[in-house]
Amino acid sequence: MTLQEIVFALQRFWSERGCLVHQPWDAEVGAGTMHPETFFRVLGPRPWNVAYVQPSRRPADGRYGENPNRLYKHEQFQVILKPPPADIQDRYLDSLKAIGIEPSAHDVRFEEDNWESPTLGAWGIGWQVLLDGQEITQFTYFQQAGGIDLHPISGEITYGLERMAMYLQDVDDVYALRWSRDVLYRDVRHEEEFQLSRYSFELADVELHRRSFEAALAEGWRLLETTGGRTYLPAYDWCLKSSHAFNVLDARGAISVTERAGMILKIRKLACAVARASVDAVAPAAEPGSTRG
Amino acid sequence: MAELLLEIGCEEMPAPWLCGLAEQLRARFLEAAARERIDAPSAVALYTPRRLVLAAEVAARQPDREEPVWGPALKVAKDASGAWTAAAQGFARKNGVAVDALRVAAKDPAKPAEAYLLFLRGTAGRSTADVVPGLLASVLRALAFPKRMSWDAWLDDGRGAFPFGRPIRWLVLLVDGQVVPFAIHALEGGAQVDVAVESGRTTRGHRFLPKGCGGEPIEVGSLAELRERLRERCVLVDPTERLARIDAGLAAASGGARFEDHGLREEWRDLVEYPTVLVGRIPAEFRALPAEVLETVLVHHQKYISLRDADGTITRFAAVVNGDGACGTEIVRGMERVVVARLRDAAFFLAEDRKRPLAARVEELAGVTFHQGLGTYRDKAVRTERLVAEMGRLGLLDGPACIAAAQAARLAKADLVTLMVREFPELQGVMGGLYLEAEGAPAEVATAVRWHHLPVAVEPDADPAAAFAGRDGEARVFAAVSLADKLDTLAGYFGIGESPTGSRDPFGLRRAGQGAVRAALDFWRPKPGEPAPDLEALLGMAIAGYPGLKQPAEKTAAVAATFLVDRLAYVLEARGFAADEVSAVLAAPEREALRDPVDALRRVEALQRVRREVTQDFAALAEAFKRAKNILTQAKPAARVDPALFESEAERQLLDTASRLQAATTGTYDEQLRGLAGLRAPVGRFFDDVLVMAEEPQRGNRLALLKTTLSLFYRIADISRLGGMS
Repeated sequence: MTLQEIVFALQRFWSERGCLVHQPWDAEVGAGTMHPETFFRVLGPRPWNVAYVQPSRRPADGRYGENPNRLYKHEQFQVILKPPPADIQDRYLDSLKAIGIEPSAHDVRFEEDNWESPTLGAWGIGWQVLLDGQEITQFTYFQQAGGIDLHPISGEITYGLERMAMYLQDVDDVYALRWSRDVLYRDVRHEEEFQLSRYSFELADVELHRRSFEAALAEGWRLLETTGGRTYLPAYDWCLKSSHAFNVLDARGAISVTERAGMILKIRKLACAVARASVDAVAPAAEPGSTRG
Repeated sequence: MAELLLEIGCEEMPAPWLCGLAEQLRARFLEAAARERIDAPSAVALYTPRRLVLAAEVAARQPDREEPVWGPALKVAKDASGAWTAAAQGFARKNGVAVDALRVAAKDPAKPAEAYLLFLRGTAGRSTADVVPGLLASVLRALAFPKRMSWDAWLDDGRGAFPFGRPIRWLVLLVDGQVVPFAIHALEGGAQVDVAVESGRTTRGHRFLPKGCGGEPIEVGSLAELRERLRERCVLVDPTERLARIDAGLAAASGGARFEDHGLREEWRDLVEYPTVLVGRIPAEFRALPAEVLETVLVHHQKYISLRDADGTITRFAAVVNGDGACGTEIVRGMERVVVARLRDAAFFLAEDRKRPLAARVEELAGVTFHQGLGTYRDKAVRTERLVAEMGRLGLLDGPACIAAAQAARLAKADLVTLMVREFPELQGVMGGLYLEAEGAPAEVATAVRWHHLPVAVEPDADPAAAFAGRDGEARVFAAVSLADKLDTLAGYFGIGESPTGSRDPFGLRRAGQGAVRAALDFWRPKPGEPAPDLEALLGMAIAGYPGLKQPAEKTAAVAATFLVDRLAYVLEARGFAADEVSAVLAAPEREALRDPVDALRRVEALQRVRREVTQDFAALAEAFKRAKNILTQAKPAARVDPALFESEAERQLLDTASRLQAATTGTYDEQLRGLAGLRAPVGRFFDDVLVMAEEPQRGNRLALLKTTLSLFYRIADISRLGGMS
């Protein structure tokens, strides 16, 4: 099964089970969780089921295209089921069958692995799913996002597409994956991996990124404080930009240990304020002057 | 008696919780049963990652009860003619009985004449099946998890939301084979909707096995049936059965050869419902990797057990799978592929790292922050090397040892910037040692670097005890580097006011402190006549090694010294010395334990031995010395004892004994302490016969005598601290 066939199969599978199939978010993000279709939809009471591919950038994981397992940018297939159905684990296992993995012929295990995103003020309880010792999926019950307790909770399934494809195609090198029948992963992505690794480790302008980190946060706050509201979506985009600037600075080795904690906190504060603004926009505070946390 | 059977079917619970959870379930159930007056003579808890099972022998009902209900006094209940009054009639009516059916009894046994009407209200015991739902709710609520999750569930017990360890998906609840109704409700968007889980007699087997009917519902009526049905469906619900299967698998896999399981057998047991041990091979090209690297990848990252050939080479690994081992070949191929990917990374890192000598990396440490305000690891390397050189100047290390220790101190942190340690941080120190060994560095330098993070555990046989057994020379170099590293860390953190408080110790300073103590106690190994490390002096030098700490040096030294004495006490108590013995030795007024911890250890060993021989003498002396100390706080003793002022034989005898003991200070600590036991009689007599607080000059003279006696053993211990704190 080619990489794109896996995507087709998962899209079809989840679409048939009531999921909206969305597109990747058009900004640099480190994980599918940061897509607004997850970040905003898990807040509040409204049920929501969605699936999409999200290319995820992790500058510090770049290896100049030389490491067969490690990438600056990898593809996640993200599913949100809100609220999670009681048979969510079985549905997930059925999705493996849909891409040709028969669980009874393998060792498929759910091992404890809780997830946390300090920049998004989000965390959840869950597992990594191991297929014959290889982690292929992160399975999480979201408990909190943007610092807000979730009622109901959401089930998040994040497939590592390259990992699963490598398994299915029986290759040891990510660049040897068949993306389509005729084109290799190497042909699509190798040069990009080299250039982006080189950029984030050697060339990225540290001062520029420091300025853009601060500027993005400032713009986010300015939007939130604009009278009339209805600004949390662009504010969130700026929050994502600040997060990416932080990741580049981190890969560049420009952040000390103590500075690091402070910067993460700044991103989280904006993310939490954005989440709060979106919740308030849907359900405005019942009484004027009522306090909220 | 009836059988109560409970199975909580849940999504995979974390393995490290399970054993404790099962025990909690049993204990909380027995407590709740006692509270509800349901006789439950035995209960057993079993589990797998997907189920917690409780089976108990229970009475079918609560026992019946009679409650006394007191009515009016007899003299109010009957009129002069002996007829029942309105008050009596009313009491009988209220309780629904005829007035003649009431009893007459004394409410207060002490006043048998004062009789009252008495109604014994019989309450029939409820059937266990009726009590169980409420009882189960309280048991479920009482289970403590390291981390709970909301799964939008609530219980109808008046307490609402019902977080748990993982979502519950089915519930078997039977009393003598009959289903007891119990429901967990779902909460959707804040509104309580349908039932999420309802009790029944339906369990589920293995998720995937047997092939074709994995996960299908199965009905059961008893524990015996549950065990059997589950066994048919590839679930061993009893953890001991799973462990036995693992052990059999491991025995076959290892061919009887010895292997280190690193606690994985128990973890495996609790990770799967049906364990089968499979064996994978390490491709020949990776077998030459250092065993430590192989073990890190296999054990820590993949939870596999490494298996060695006859010559000690790691050639294979054992892994557990959750199944019957069918399709094992394909599964093993997948596992091998994961292992190989990791080992290939490791081999690449190793080759890259070896392109440059470790010493060439010391400069790069300037880019790694040790702690904000305490500089980089480059700075730390310089300070630690300097501290080791000071040890040489103090005569603690001879020339060659000092040169080796200085080299090791400079190189100890250099592996932090190697690729291997960046990828596998748990290998820091180890990689430095291995790289040095490969470069042909002296053995004592390589071993010192390798182990310098340790010791951290308090047990005398914990790592690296075995590595330095019978190797005193290497142990000394290691101890010097380890001690210097830890004292430097303590000096720095205390110097910026980062001391541990309560349960907060983010920088692991307590471990560093006891590590420093242990480096001196167990690894310095001074020969007779050789000086032992003076922790107080070295601490002062470590503080002076920092260019500008926030706190004044004296304050840092005082706080850190108190902290180290405390760590020394902790280590000694962990070795089995009684707290009062440790306290007595550490409080010896004429010895500072930190100046020679090795000597402190010898003193407390002697005290423990001799006190066991002459327990009574020491108990009596401790009492007397406490009294003496107390008296000495009340008045001033004379400058010296004047025998001419003695008025009794008791005084003379005490002085004689004391003088004799004072002259005999050359013996071993054991001999000196045995001599001390001889003071019991004269001290006892002194307190019996002599009034200390007499008029002057006798008073001052007697106090001086007491002071002399008290201080006799101040070189060894403050005996007044035995048997509780003075």
